[in-house]
Parts: sequence; structure tokens; C-alpha cells
Amino acid sequence: MLYCDTYLQPATLREALELLRVAPEGSRVVAGATDLLPWARDGRGGDVQVPHLIDITRVDGFSGWRLEGERVRLNAGTVYQEFLEDPDLVRLLPNMPQCAAWFADDQIRRQATLIGNIVNASPAGDGLPPMLTLNATIEVARLDGDRVQTRSVPVEAFVTGPGRTLLQPGEIATAVTCDAVEGYGGSFQKVGLRRSLVISAVCCAALVKTDAKGRLVEDARLALGGVGPRPIRLRDIEEMLRGKELTRDLIAKVSLLPARHVASRSRVEYRRAVVQGFVGSAIEDALAALCVCGTHSTAKEAVDA
Amino acid sequence: MKRKLRGRGVAASWYGIARTATIDRAGAWAELDDGGTAKIVTGVTEIGEGILTVLAQVAAEELGIRPEDVTIGDNDTARSPEAAHAGATRQTYMIGNSVALAAREARGKLFAEIADHWEVSAEQLRAFNGEIWVEDTNKRMTMGEAVARCKARGVVPVGAASFTAHGTGLDPVDGSGSPWQAYVFGTQVAEVEVDTVTGEVQVLGIWAAHDVGRVINPRGVEGQIEGGVAQGLGQALMEEWQTDKGHPVTHGFAKYILPTSLDIPEITSILVEDRDPKSPLGAKGIGEPALVPTAPAIMNAIYDAIGVRMKSLPATPEKVLAALAAKEGAAA
Amino acid sequence: MPDTLTHPTVTAVTLDLTINGRRQRVQADPGARLLDVLRDGLMLTGAKEGCGAGECGTCSVFVDGKLIKSCLMPAAKAQGAEVETVEGLARTGDLTAVQKAFHKTGASQCGYCIPGMVMAATATLRDNPDADIEEIKERMGGNICRCTGYSKIFEAVEIARDVIAGRLPHTALDPEAVGNSFIGHNTRRLDAPSKVTGRLRYAGDMVMPGMLHMQVLRSPHAHAKIVSIDTTEAEAYPGVHCVLTCDDVPGEDGFGVFVEDQPVMARDKVRHVGEAVAAVAADSVRTAREAMALIRVEYDELPGLFDPEDALKSGAPVIHDYAADNVVKHIPVRKGDIAAGFSAADVILEESFSTQQVEHAYLEPEAGLAYVDHDGVVTVVSPSQNITHHRHMLSHIIAKPINKVRFIMSPVGGGFGGKEDMIYQGMLALAAMKTRRPVKLVFTREESFVASAKRHPSRTRCRMGLTKAGRITAVEFEMLSDGGAYGMSSEGVMRKAAILSCGPYEIENLKVDTKVVYTNNTPSGAFRTFGGMQAQFATESMMDMAAERLGMDPFEIRRVNMMRAGSLTHTQQKLASAAIDRVLDAAEGASGWEKGAPSVRGESRGDLDGPGTRRPCTLGARVRETATDRFRP
Repeated sequence: MLYCDTYLQPATLREALELLRVAPEGSRVVAGATDLLPWARDGRGGDVQVPHLIDITRVDGFSGWRLEGERVRLNAGTVYQEFLEDPDLVRLLPNMPQCAAWFADDQIRRQATLIGNIVNASPAGDGLPPMLTLNATIEVARLDGDRVQTRSVPVEAFVTGPGRTLLQPGEIATAVTCDAVEGYGGSFQKVGLRRSLVISAVCCAALVKTDAKGRLVEDARLALGGVGPRPIRLRDIEEMLRGKELTRDLIAKVSLLPARHVASRSRVEYRRAVVQGFVGSAIEDALAALCVCGTHSTAKEAVDA
Repeated sequence: MKRKLRGRGVAASWYGIARTATIDRAGAWAELDDGGTAKIVTGVTEIGEGILTVLAQVAAEELGIRPEDVTIGDNDTARSPEAAHAGATRQTYMIGNSVALAAREARGKLFAEIADHWEVSAEQLRAFNGEIWVEDTNKRMTMGEAVARCKARGVVPVGAASFTAHGTGLDPVDGSGSPWQAYVFGTQVAEVEVDTVTGEVQVLGIWAAHDVGRVINPRGVEGQIEGGVAQGLGQALMEEWQTDKGHPVTHGFAKYILPTSLDIPEITSILVEDRDPKSPLGAKGIGEPALVPTAPAIMNAIYDAIGVRMKSLPATPEKVLAALAAKEGAAA
Repeated sequence: MPDTLTHPTVTAVTLDLTINGRRQRVQADPGARLLDVLRDGLMLTGAKEGCGAGECGTCSVFVDGKLIKSCLMPAAKAQGAEVETVEGLARTGDLTAVQKAFHKTGASQCGYCIPGMVMAATATLRDNPDADIEEIKERMGGNICRCTGYSKIFEAVEIARDVIAGRLPHTALDPEAVGNSFIGHNTRRLDAPSKVTGRLRYAGDMVMPGMLHMQVLRSPHAHAKIVSIDTTEAEAYPGVHCVLTCDDVPGEDGFGVFVEDQPVMARDKVRHVGEAVAAVAADSVRTAREAMALIRVEYDELPGLFDPEDALKSGAPVIHDYAADNVVKHIPVRKGDIAAGFSAADVILEESFSTQQVEHAYLEPEAGLAYVDHDGVVTVVSPSQNITHHRHMLSHIIAKPINKVRFIMSPVGGGFGGKEDMIYQGMLALAAMKTRRPVKLVFTREESFVASAKRHPSRTRCRMGLTKAGRITAVEFEMLSDGGAYGMSSEGVMRKAAILSCGPYEIENLKVDTKVVYTNNTPSGAFRTFGGMQAQFATESMMDMAAERLGMDPFEIRRVNMMRAGSLTHTQQKLASAAIDRVLDAAEGASGWEKGAPSVRGESRGDLDGPGTRRPCTLGARVRETATDRFRP
């Protein structure tokens, strides 16, 4: 069970940082709180005493997102359901809707924030692989004397291991910024023991862009989750696909590569087998998503041929 | 190989009704009450299977009133007759029949008074849906009036009954014996789709044919079959209580995986009625038997789809994929 | 304000909430969840706690119009919010279209998930009044039901959707007219209105004046001697009314379904992780938990048994002194002459099968309330599946005559056999007797998992001889089951497994042995099918393997062997009738089964994907819709 002495809801970032600075040891910053309460249970954290809970969801400027040139700035309060239901986000971040569909359930997605998922750095965190493909960076803020200072770190570097990140004591994550990739086809593959509310055994995110004729791959981005201590971007495969015409042979060839990245502590053989199939499916589904737009179809036909 | 492959499988099953290899018994009390209502008192309550509604239907049918006129109590060892446990697919069979018999006794008392009042024989009386009448006459009144008339004549129409199922113990050496007096049979067909990339199995259809003796409430029976299929599916594909040297690994619902709305096949129930001759209702039961054939039907369907015989439950994606790899390794 | 919400050592927060349209001010601990405030503070017990971890949806409520899981929301987070619970959906005495549809289709069974399910259905139709079945399933994917198989729930949501949209008349929600009999009529469930509105109170929803709260200290070891238990500090903890150990049992300790081998609380040793060792009754759950942490138990660990085959080895640790060989029960069934049967066989198959340990996972965790009434009758209210037997056992445990022991069966939020064991009612009764106050205990989900019995895991070896025509000539069938630490229903489960083992087939020669042993694993007990499923999984797999070997259709091989009127069962009971012929025909006909041997013909068969199947789930029904809409030319 969770016990806390003081529940705080700061209205500004400065206030939140000040509260965090004076908070007793063991205090926690929470957003959706959907990871916190399940942790304070028998078999996990047990009965947990948290002196202060600092709830940042009412911080001014933490809700919403905006387009900044070629990048999307997702403020700390952005929850998973927005990736599924906001038509602009669906367009700009085309592999996030399917990721969100696989993420927990509708009710948890209304509370759970993307940023919380990144900061908690679960090896099975579904939001991480697509964020890697979107070249996401995370912005964190801290107090330097009385001044609010921020720094940005690529998400790929920010997550250093299971539950471990570069977030320093006194810091609060404030936003995630990622590429706006309208015109890319996006996909997300996941397998667990069922299809709702389930932890990934493996997940794979993809983004694919073809030339105007839909023949050549202009850009492809792939990332895996659940296969090791942290999510990984498959740059070797991306390199092999770029500028190429997609064929079954090429997909089969690149599919063999990621197995060696699997470094999980358990179910290694299974995960290796699945990632091999997932890479191909991720590319094909991303192409299929492009086809739904009705403009790019040649590459998909080449694969289907 | 195509990524998604489909197949079908069948499994049959049988099951015994009520407590095993022993005598089983249950008691009930009934009272036709003012206003044409009734009180039925038994020692068990609802565990979700719909027994309260079944008992109300049985009592209403026997007493000539409506199910909503029946009040059921008391689920209480100090206030109600022994009905023993809510399990063993015995509720409809044991409690249902004891309620039927108790209600018949109460009805008999009322019929005797009303027959005398109308100066006809009790055999000529019929009662249904809140009314009582003499066949082929204009003699008719509401059950509320009938109860009032009966009481005005000094009789409270009550009944009490016990129902017995005569199972016998098994011989300790050769196991011979008659463990149940009623048996049910079932057959289920499963259609599955296996994802050969992930090993995931989706069950798309289940056709479930079950003998239930006599259907008291069709939707209730279907609900039991659908729930049984869902539990059988969980057992077949995903559920597993895991411990490591006795210490739980699957502490809660995040790790102990149950079927959700996305895992459920279309379920077609076919209710077969082979009436039980040894009981007043002729009904048998469905609670437990519904899930017996589900897992083997699914395993047989997986074999049909991908040629892999899953002999160890649950057939998780990991196990299915490993078996598929082993089969392909052997073939290579 | 009940004392459960605020704790003496913390400063309560004041919450201003609008609950079902009414402004309410409540005090709560800063760490309290919205679920606690609703249930304990406002007595709105429609929202249930099925898991406390956001995994089941029994606690779903609307907060500012968005459906959320209230066990995952700190109450303080909801400060100032509008909260709508199941109690607020319809005006008093009425039902919404969704609720009426649930009533109509029989969508509620035990009902424990139903308030949450009704909320999820309501949210689904509020968010998208035209949601198709795929989207409905996805949107409701966070709410688990263990009873219904969801089918009647889906049907209800689709009916409600169409009535709300005007595609179906309101009369579609009316009850079905009755013909000339209530037998065979779809009478609507009498308990459904109380379930779809959240009105029905389960044991965990009940309160009594002066009620204390119990928490149970459980064994961290699988097998250990208890050297000492020191409860001094816990007894002295402010707010504690009593601490119980096995020393508080006044009568003959021991309960069980077939063998009474389990003490109310561990006596001398613990036999599985999670076994009750001591219990505390206090003013609040939190106080009881804090006091529990002060109980000092000294254990001396013993070697454990975790595999049923190890349990049978000579020199294996002994779990119960009365069973030196660790065997709980062995059931033999013999019929005919298997040597002769196998020698008459054209083919002999031999295979091994295994099934796993499975949890009942009823959505209602165990809960109970005990009190001693004015006449000195010790009364236990709980979702017990066997109050008759429980009162017998409690009577000897507390050394009182039967008529001074009373069990009341509260509405059971799912049982499936898992609530037949008296694993906590004894502690409650003892605490009520010791404190003379009502005492309540509600298990957490994790506690329910670790303390309650499971389905027996099994290992089966089956040898089957058949003629070329598919007639079974002999079966040899051996099953070994892990009964775990206590006997519970193991004996009966083995008996049923043995009786049913070889399936609905008339077999002249058979030899069946089922055996269950003690280990230090979580106990196995009664679970829907009572061994029947484990045994018939092996047999029905064998039937298909035999059919493939013989090139026979799987229905045909079953017909060749099926029981008929006059058949002798495996235990040599003569059957007056056997409907196996009719259920085989019915399933074959309804599924449109294409005949053929089960030889991996999935790719070529023509009966797939027809009526009675659903679309495979691919997720993202909403996304597809959005994408299609946007890019439609």
C-alpha cells in the first residue's frame, strides 16, 4: 500500500522544482501515477512510505503539444490517448497511434504520460521504440540557484538501463521533442500473452518514407523494445534499406540482422525468433499504412509480388 | 510459410452431475405467500451461475405464479435448510429439484383448499403466471385471491422437501461404482489462427454442443458455456500460476494473464436436451462441463493449422514458436 | 467519517468533489486513492477493488467526463473534479439503456466486474455512439470478466448502442414474453438490477458499527519450523484490539474438504509461502498492517519439496507427519484385461501431457465479516461456497455446538471452486470472539493469489491401443498431480479425474491410476471440472492423434468408441442413456465441419472463416477508421 504524508500539486514549474528541492528523501514526482500505485503492492514495493508526492499534472504549460518547425514538442502532461485520438498527432507521428492502441487500455492511456513512460525506463516500455525512431529528445529542468535551467538529452541516451536514466536528483522532465514525420508510413508490432493490458515480450516500431513514385526507400527507421536492458535503434538495417527498392529478398536479408541485438535475461531464443519476423512485418505494415493514403503503392506491390 | 495459418479441431467430453461417489442431498422450504407471491428458502445463494433465477423460474412454474413474485432466502445455516455447497454442477440439479418438490407440496395444500372451495377435484386445477383456474370452465381467480381464500380456510400453504441423488462410493481396489445418477456430454469445435512470427494463437470460433438434460433458462445456459469456454481458453493459451521454489512469480493480474474482451472467440452454443429420468425437473447441469473440451479442441486446432502437437499447457506464443522451430528443425 | 480514511500520524487533506452531481467535502489521507474515498468515505461501494493495480477495471469511474481506474488515482489528484460513479448513471429506481441491455441479455453473472463493465460500456458509447464491435471490444479491453466469456456483454452493448441511436426501438430492451411455461423461458436474471447499478453489497462492501479490520501475517518461507512467535509489540501498538496465533484456537484445530490437515493459522511449521501465521485486528487496515510488521516470528527453514515426482522419492522431506510417503490420495480404476486389450490392438500410441497450475481469479477477492450476536452465536458472513461444511468445521475449531455457529453466504463474486476452502473464516471468528467486536477482513489480490487453492497441475501418461477400424482396445492412464501444501479437495479431484479419465468412450480394458502428493507449493484444490479437464485434455489429444494415425475423421473415431445407452462406464456403471451421439452431431452440424483426418489440413480446408467466427483482432480499430476517413478520395 502507498502511504504519503503530503500530496502537492504545484502550479508552476518553478514551484515544482522548489518543492522537489526541499522534499524529504524518498519523495516522488508523479504525473499520471499509473505506475506508482501498482508498485506499492505485495510482491513489488510492498507497503511504501513516500513523504511527499509532487503531482506535476497541474503545472502551467505542461498540457498540450505544439509544432515547432520540423519537430513536435510534447509537453510533460501529454498522455497516450492523445496519440490515438488527436488527428493531428496521428498524422504527424504515424507510428504512435498503433503504439498507443497496444499500450495498456483506454482508461490508463487517459492518465499515463509519455514522459512518465520514458522516465520510468521499463525495458518493456512501449513508447520508447517509436520515440527512438522519431529521434526524440527529452527536456529536463532543474533549479540552478533561483534560475530554472533546462537541458535536452536524446531519449536513446537518456535511458541507460532498466529503470535507469540520466535524470539527476532535483530534475523534472518537462517535454519530449521529436520529428514531425507526416508522409511517412508508421507501424508498431507487439507480442505479449494477450492483446490488451499486457507487457511486451517484444515490440518493434517502424517509420518508412518512399520516393514520390513509391519505389525507393528514402528513409526507414526501426527500433526494438523488450529485447534487452534498453530499447535499441536498428541503424544497420536502416542503412541497408535507404535508397533501395524494397523486395522480399531485401526484407528477408535485413530480418536476419537484429537477432544478435537481443540481450534479454530471459526468453532469448523466443525474442530472437520474433524480432526476425517483426522487422519484416514492421516494414510491410508501415508501407501498407502509406498505401491507405492512396498515394504510394508501388513499394507495397513490390513486396507483395 | 504464410504468417497467419488457420485450423480447426474438435474435442468431446463427459461429466457427472452433483457430488461424486457419494449420496448427495439438499433441502428447501416453500411458502405461497400473500398477494400470490412466494418465499423459497434454501441454504445457498448466487455465485454467478444464475441459480436464483432458475429457482424462481422453477418455483413460479410449480406454484402458478411469476418468477418476479418469488423471494429467495436465506443462505444462512441458522435460518435455512441444508443445501450444502455451491459447486459440483449441483445447484440446478440438487437445489432446483428440492425447490420443485417443496413448491409442489405447498401447491398441493393450496389446490386442496381451492378445489374444495370450487367443489372440483384438485386434478382439474391449473395455475400459471399468477392465475388459477379449473380446466374448461369459467372458474378462475388470481393467485393472490387463491392464497387469501386458502388462508381464510385456516391453511398456510407451505411445503418442505429433500431431494436425493444416489451416488455410490468406488471400490478401493478396482474403482467400480456408480458415482453419479446423471451424466452429461459435450462436444466443442475450435477454429484458430496461429501467427507463425509470434506464436500467438487467436481463437476465432467455438461451437459448443452440450447436453444439459432440460434447459430451464436458455440464456443462462449459454452464459455458462461462454464463461466456461473463456476459462478453457485461458487455461489453453495464457494462464499459469508460477512459483519459484514455492515463491510466487505471478503476483497479480499484471503477471497472471486472463482472457480479455479481445481474446474471446465468437461462441455458438447448441443446447441438447437428454432429460434426466431420475428427477422431477429432468434438468442436469452445465457449470463445470462447459470448459472441459475447450483446451483440447484448441490444441487439436493448432495441430491442424501448423502441425505442432501441444502436449503441455498453456500453449503460450513462446511454446508454440519453439515447437514450430523444433518441427522445422526436424524436417530440415 | 469512518476511521479507515484518516490515520492518526498524518494530516488529512480536505477534498472538494462533485460526486454524481452533488458537491461533497471529504477528509482523506494524502495517500488515499480515489477508490478509497468513494468506498470508505462516501459509501459508494459500486466501484470494487478487484486488483488494486489497474489491471481489472472493477473500479472504473468517470473523472471530469473521462473514464479512469480509481485504484490508480490518488484522491488528491481529483481535487475539485466531477466524479460520476455507477450509482449516478441513472435516476433512483431507473436504469440506463446500457443497464437495461445488460439486464436483458444476461450480461451479469457473479456481478463483481459489472459496475465497472457498465461504466466501460457507457464510456465506449459516450466516446463513439457508433462504435462497431471491434472498437467496442478494444475500448472495453481494460475490464476483465471471469464469468461470462464477455459474449452477452458485447451483445448488450450493441443493443444499447442501437437503441440509443434509434436504430432499434426501446422495446428491444423489454423482457421476452412468456408462452405457456417459465421453464425454457429467458427470464431475466432477478439479481441483475442490483448488479448493474452497483447496489448489491458483497462481503467486502459491508460495514457494521464498531467494526475492526483484520490483516494477516503470512509465511515468507515454503517450509520452515516455527521456533517462536513474539506478538508483544504488536499487542501493545495503539489501535490494536487483538493479535491471534494458533494458540488462540480453543477447540480442535484443522480444516479441509476431505482431510482436515490445515490449521487455522500455522501450527509448529509453515508448509507454503503465504500460509497464515498470525492475524491482527485493529481500528484500521493501516494500523493492523503497521502492527503486523511488529510481530517477530523466528523460523528454522526446512528442505522443501517443489516437484511432485520428488515428493515420491524415498528420503523426501515429509510435509505432513500423517502421510510419510507424501501421498494425499491414489485412486485406481480397473476394468477388463489391458494385456489382452493391447495384444488385440493394431496400433498403440503412448504420449505424455501436462497441465499447469491455474488460479480461479474470481474478481471478488476473499472477504468476510464476523461477529458474535446477542445470543452468543458466532456468525461469519462470507462468500463461502460451502456454508454447511464450514459451520461443522468451525464448530469443532471454536469448541461450540453447531447451533452456536452461524454461516451466512454473502453474494459470491465468482467462486469456481476457489471459495470452498475455509482459509480465513476461522481467523475472523476467533477475532470476533476475542474482541467482542465485528471484525472484517478483505484480501488483497496478491493475498488471494498466494493463499487460495489453485487448479491441480498434472502430468499424465496415456497409452492407447486401437484396431485399424479405430476401436479402442485398451487404455493405460496414469496421472500425477501436485496437491501443494494441504489436502483441501485433492482427494475428490483425483477421484473425479480417474472416473472421467478415458472420456465418453466405452472401453473394455483399462487401467487408470490418479495420484496426488503433498509439496510445498501453493495448495491445489477445487476448481471447475475438479480434475475432469486435466484428464480429458490428455484423452482428447490422444483421440486426434489416433485419428491421424488411422486416417479417420475425428468425429468418426469418437463415434466408433462413444458410450451408448447400456454402456458400462470406466467404473462399470451401466448408463441408461448417453447423449454423446447427439452432441457430436450437433457440433459437427453447427460448425459446418468438413470431414477429413486431422492431418494438418488447415491450409486446404474449406470450412474456415464462415459464420460463427470473428475477425482476428488486429488492434487500432479507431486508427484505421481515422486514417480511412482522412484519406478517402
